[in-house]
Amino acid sequence: MSAVALDDAGWQRLNSRVAWVDLGKMVVTFIPSVVAAVVFDQGLQAWPVFIVTGLGVVSSVLDLKRWMHTRYRVGADRMEIRKGWLIRRYRSVPRDRIRTVDTSAKLRHRLAGLRVVHISSGEARTSFKLDALESRTAERLRADLLGVTPAVETAEVKAEETVLARLRWSWFVYNIVSVWAFLVSGLLLLSAYLTMQTFGVDLREVIAGAVDWRSLGLGWTIVVATAGCFVLGTFGMALNYLREKANFRLVRTRTDDGTALLTRQGMFRIREVYRDDRRLRGVAISEPLLSRWLRLAETEVVSTGLSWTPGSDAAAAILPRTSVAEARRVAALVLGDEHRPLDAPLRRHPRPALRRRLVWAGYVPGVPAALLAWLGATGAVPGWIWAVPAGLIPVACLLAVVAYRSLGHAMAGPYLVMRSGLIRRTTVVLQSRGVIGWGVRQSLLQRRLGLATLRVQTAAGNRVYEVPDIAAGEAAAFAHAATPVILAPILAEGAAEAVSDPQPDGQEAHIAHDPAHG
Amino acid sequence: MSDTLPALKPPSHRVERRAILLWTLYALIWGISVIGVLVALYVFLPATRPWIQPFLWILPPIYLLYLTRVPYWRYRVHRWEITDEAVYALSGWIVREWRIVPISRIQSIDVKKGPLQSRLRLATLKISTAAASEGGISIIGLDADVAERCSDRLTDLTQTVPGDAT
Repeated sequence: MSAVALDDAGWQRLNSRVAWVDLGKMVVTFIPSVVAAVVFDQGLQAWPVFIVTGLGVVSSVLDLKRWMHTRYRVGADRMEIRKGWLIRRYRSVPRDRIRTVDTSAKLRHRLAGLRVVHISSGEARTSFKLDALESRTAERLRADLLGVTPAVETAEVKAEETVLARLRWSWFVYNIVSVWAFLVSGLLLLSAYLTMQTFGVDLREVIAGAVDWRSLGLGWTIVVATAGCFVLGTFGMALNYLREKANFRLVRTRTDDGTALLTRQGMFRIREVYRDDRRLRGVAISEPLLSRWLRLAETEVVSTGLSWTPGSDAAAAILPRTSVAEARRVAALVLGDEHRPLDAPLRRHPRPALRRRLVWAGYVPGVPAALLAWLGATGAVPGWIWAVPAGLIPVACLLAVVAYRSLGHAMAGPYLVMRSGLIRRTTVVLQSRGVIGWGVRQSLLQRRLGLATLRVQTAAGNRVYEVPDIAAGEAAAFAHAATPVILAPILAEGAAEAVSDPQPDGQEAHIAHDPAHG
Repeated sequence: MSDTLPALKPPSHRVERRAILLWTLYALIWGISVIGVLVALYVFLPATRPWIQPFLWILPPIYLLYLTRVPYWRYRVHRWEITDEAVYALSGWIVREWRIVPISRIQSIDVKKGPLQSRLRLATLKISTAAASEGGISIIGLDADVAERCSDRLTDLTQTVPGDAT
C-alpha cells in the first residue's frame, strides 16, 4: 500500500456504471432458474440451469471485485495499470510503444454507454484491457494515446473519412457457405438437446416423430439428415455473420499526424480497429483452394505492429470474405497509388518447379503405400490397403500442377508481388522499403534443377514471405530490382545485365527506388 | 553450369579452420548422447529391443558418415562479408542459404561464445532485425577477436546509417 501512497496522483478508475452492469447481469442470470423452477415446475431436475446461474453470479461478483481494484494512469511518458485483489499486478508500457488502441462493446456495454478499450504495443498480446470506460472517455483516451482527432462531433468526423468499402448483401454467400456448417449444426443441435432436456422435452423424440423415417428408407434418411444439418448450420453461420459483420465499413480516416485505416463492424458488439497508415507495408489476398470456383478471397493488410494470433479475428483482416475482384479493388484503394501492383502480369516460374512438385506428389503418397504394402505382406494390415494411398497419386499430381500454376512474381513500381500456395493461393504485395533482409535458399535437388527459394524478410505481417522455386539466376535479379543499393556490391559479374529486365517495370523500379535508399 | 546458382558473388571471407573442430565436437556430443540413450534403453529395457534394434543398425553408419564428412562440407560452404551497405553470409550444407541484411535495418548485434567456442577462441556473430527469429544472420566459427572487431565496426556503422524504425 505504501508504494501506492508514494505517487498517488493521476490514477483513474474504470467507469462506475460497470458496477450497475454487473448487478444487471446477476439479475439476468437468475431468470432461467426461476423459469425452470417456477414456470415449468422442474425442481431439482433442472440442475444444469442452476449451475449456469451459479456461474453467472460468481462471474458477476468477480467482475465487481475487478472493477473495485483496477486503476490506470496515463503519464507523460508511459501508461500504467494496477489490478487484482488476490494477486496484485502492476504493468507499465512506454507511450511511444503503443501501436493500436481499439474499442469494442458488448450489448450490455452499449446499453450502458460503455466501451472496452484494448491497448497494445508491438507485443503479441494486448498490453492493456480497460473494461470498461464511458464511450466519450474511451474516445478521449484513444485520441490522447494515438493523437487521433476525437470523434465527438460525428458530423465533422464523417467529412474526414473516405469510405473504401461497406457491407454488401452479395458477400453473404461467400461467408456462410462452408463445410463448417456441419460442425455448427452439430453444436447447435447438441446445445438445443441439452437445453430442452432440462425443460422435460426430448429432442430426439421430436425429430423422430416429425417425419416417418422408416418409409423413407436408409438412402433418403441420409440425404434428408445431411441437407437438414447443412441448412441448419448455414442458418447458424448466417446469424453469426450478421452479428459480427453487420454495419461493416472500411474507411480511411484522418489523424493528427497522418491517416489510418479503420474498420467498424458488429450488430450488438461494435468493434473498431485502427491501423496506422505509416505502418502499412502492403496487402495480401488469399484464395482458399476449395472455394476457388466461387472466386472467393480474403484480404489482409501487411503492416508492422499489428498483433497476429492464429485463429483469432486478426487485426490485419480488413474485409470479410469477398470476391477476388472486390478484394483487388479495395486493395488498390488501400495502397492508394497509381501502380496497381495486383494487376501487374506475374512472371511464371520455370518448368523444373513443376518437376519438383511432381516428385513430391509421387513420394508423399508413395512412401506410405510402400510401407503398407510391406505391412500387408507380413499380415499386420489387410492386404489391399496399400491401394488407398497409391490411388491418391493421380490426385496429388493434379494438386502439383495447381500448386505450380499458382507460383508467380513481379516487380510493379515500388512493390514486390509474390504469389504461391496450394491450399491457400496467397498474393502478397510488399513495398520494397519494407524489406529488411534477404535470404536465398537452395537444396541439393533445387541446385540440380536450377531453382532457389527467395525469402523476403520484413518487420510487417508474417515477417517472412517466400518466393518458392524461382529460377536460381533470377533470385538475385529480383532482389536487386527491389533494393539495388544493397544488392549491387555482391552481385556476380555479368549478372547486372541479366538483372535489368527488358520489361519497363524493372527500370522504373530502379528510378523509384534510389531516393528511398540514398 | 553457373546458372544453377543464384547470381551472387561468394562472400569474401571463409570462417576459421578451427570451426571444423567445433562442428566435429558438436556432432560428437549429439551423437554420443542420442546413441547412448538408445543403447541404454536396449540394455536395460528388454521390452523395447524389437523397436530399437533397427535404429541401432541404421544410425551408427549414418552418424559416422556425418561426423567425418559434414564438418568439412560446412567449412567449404560457410562464408561471410561485411560491405558498406550490408552484412552478407552463406551457410548450410545440404541446403545452402545466402543471407543479406542491410546495415540500416540492424536492430541488435551479439557476440556469443559458448564453453566449447571459448576454448577454441571462436565466437558467433549474431545480427538481428525486426523480422524477429525469421530474419537476421548468425555467422558461426569466427575468430573471437575478429567477431569483437566486426561487432564494434557494425555498431559504428549502424550509428552513422540512419535506420527507419520499422
